[in-house]
Amino acid sequence: MKPLCCAEGRGLKAESYSLLSRPLLFALGSLPFLGLGMAQNASAPDNTTDPLWMVGIKAFLVVFGLLTAFAYMTLIERRLLARIQIRQGPNRVGPDGLLQPVADAIKSILKEDIVPKAADKVVFWLAPMISVTFALLTFGLIPFGPKHAFFGFDPWLINLDVGILYVFAVSEIAVYGIFLAGWASNSKYSLLGSLRSSAALISYELALGMSLLAPVVLVGSLNLQAIVEWQNTNGWLILYLLPAFALFVIAGMAEAARTPFDLPEAEQELVGGYNTEYSSIKWALFQMAEYIHLITASALIPTIFLGGWRMPGFLTAIPFIGGFFALPYLWMFAKIALFLFFFIWVRGTFFRLRYDQLMRFGWGRLLPMALGWFLIVAAVVAFKMPLAVLGWLSALALIVFSVYVVMGARSSQPARRVVRPGVGD
Amino acid sequence: MAVNFWEILGAVLLIGTSIMVVRLQNAVHAAIALIANFLVIAAVYVSLEARFVAMTQIIVYGGAIVVLFLFVIMLLSAAKASVGQDLLPGLQAPALVGALGLAAVLIYALTHFQAPANPPALNGGLAQALGPLLYSPERWLYALLVVGFLLLVATVAAVVLVEPERITRSTEHPAHPSAGAQPTPKNEKEAVRR
Repeated sequence: MKPLCCAEGRGLKAESYSLLSRPLLFALGSLPFLGLGMAQNASAPDNTTDPLWMVGIKAFLVVFGLLTAFAYMTLIERRLLARIQIRQGPNRVGPDGLLQPVADAIKSILKEDIVPKAADKVVFWLAPMISVTFALLTFGLIPFGPKHAFFGFDPWLINLDVGILYVFAVSEIAVYGIFLAGWASNSKYSLLGSLRSSAALISYELALGMSLLAPVVLVGSLNLQAIVEWQNTNGWLILYLLPAFALFVIAGMAEAARTPFDLPEAEQELVGGYNTEYSSIKWALFQMAEYIHLITASALIPTIFLGGWRMPGFLTAIPFIGGFFALPYLWMFAKIALFLFFFIWVRGTFFRLRYDQLMRFGWGRLLPMALGWFLIVAAVVAFKMPLAVLGWLSALALIVFSVYVVMGARSSQPARRVVRPGVGD
Repeated sequence: MAVNFWEILGAVLLIGTSIMVVRLQNAVHAAIALIANFLVIAAVYVSLEARFVAMTQIIVYGGAIVVLFLFVIMLLSAAKASVGQDLLPGLQAPALVGALGLAAVLIYALTHFQAPANPPALNGGLAQALGPLLYSPERWLYALLVVGFLLLVATVAAVVLVEPERITRSTEHPAHPSAGAQPTPKNEKEAVRR
């Protein structure tokens, strides 16, 4: 098979590795310390930071917790999908299938690790590393409670004043994992799959950023904790920014490559996409990165729109038992679980978009809507209108959307497909 | 001037990745080195209390621009550059002169630069500090508008380049055969506008 990307085969030749390739690996391998260094440099609003050893312990806890959550997310997702599709799901390994992730992990590690002969070995190895590293880097930003709630230390890893920008920076770099994986495999399917999925990811990144501009402008800060505090005094942002919330959830689903947008691994029609040539633990690392993106998105959405780690305000008003609900961490975990369930539910309900539908939806619908809503919010902030205006506008948007859906369902017609040469996959 | 370990490490990484960008023979490897270079530059910005610029550096350059480089490299089969071929042989002597001149300027700047005694509080170079400067009419609002207009002109030009048929049909010139294979300037300008 003639490689698509090169004039001649890009086999592993000794001279194609200049000596400089090795330092490149070390430079990239040291990148996680960028985040750690920022933790030290970050100016927390009151300039108190945890000691370095505590940051290390918390970093270990975050990574360990995320990897465990990833393992059990696979089991929970398979069981839930099975339930939606009226079948049993994995229930043989251990009680109720609880040891299935362990079996899967052992299987992934022990399987033969096949590297294609014509693959670019260094980049082939580097791509899953980039994917999983940059997937892990975001979660430390999420605040899980008030200050000093973690045994006297802060229940977050890093407190950046540019928090949301950091999220975007990390998720932009994470695209390279998919991108380079497809190229390094030296296979047409992989390259096409990776070009297609990285184009989709970059397109939805725009809508993601535009939808987050609304809360940033309204709160006046990029810091996640400032956003949580603002919601404590003014009410949850979903009440004021319902369209931004909906757009962010949809775009976040696309960023995590979940089912309506899971073109990166469309296994039925495209033999997998970017990870076609990957096997064994490297393939598992890509899966890991994808699920960690999902978990991070499920933590980010409630932090920005649903009050963060705080409980719903009306619960404290209940006499006698109101204080019972004020357990630390409980609400954050509950909200994360809620969104994880929602994402699995969506996967069990919707089917995959075609590539042209995906791009048309991202550029033609999501981006203009996010931009329009941002303009409205900016106008409300600029003319110092009361917050209730945004609440009413959100309700109006909900009504308009409902009418649109109902009318669209009534006059349903087959989707128009615009075929343009050179566009699409 | 006290130079600590991290500054030396940053300088070594910057120079090392820059050399790799130029010297690596595989264009994709060079692009990866460019990403590493941008990330180290962002780290330098962070150490200079300019976190907003650091994050923008990663998002715009490390994210968008290099992705477009990679798209072009992969789609135009340019991954394997011809090795040892000097495409512009006449440029070596002028390049040497330019490099020496740059070195002279840099050495002069290093030895003669006086740091301002009391730099204004940048507040991490946050949006709250940068925004009023960029968008106030007394400062750089008009410069910003002019830059935006220039990018718009470039985008329109790129659109014209990508879709030549509609233009050429009226003037009855045949479409340029390779014009369809250049969709990238448009994307690049769009990325810059982000």
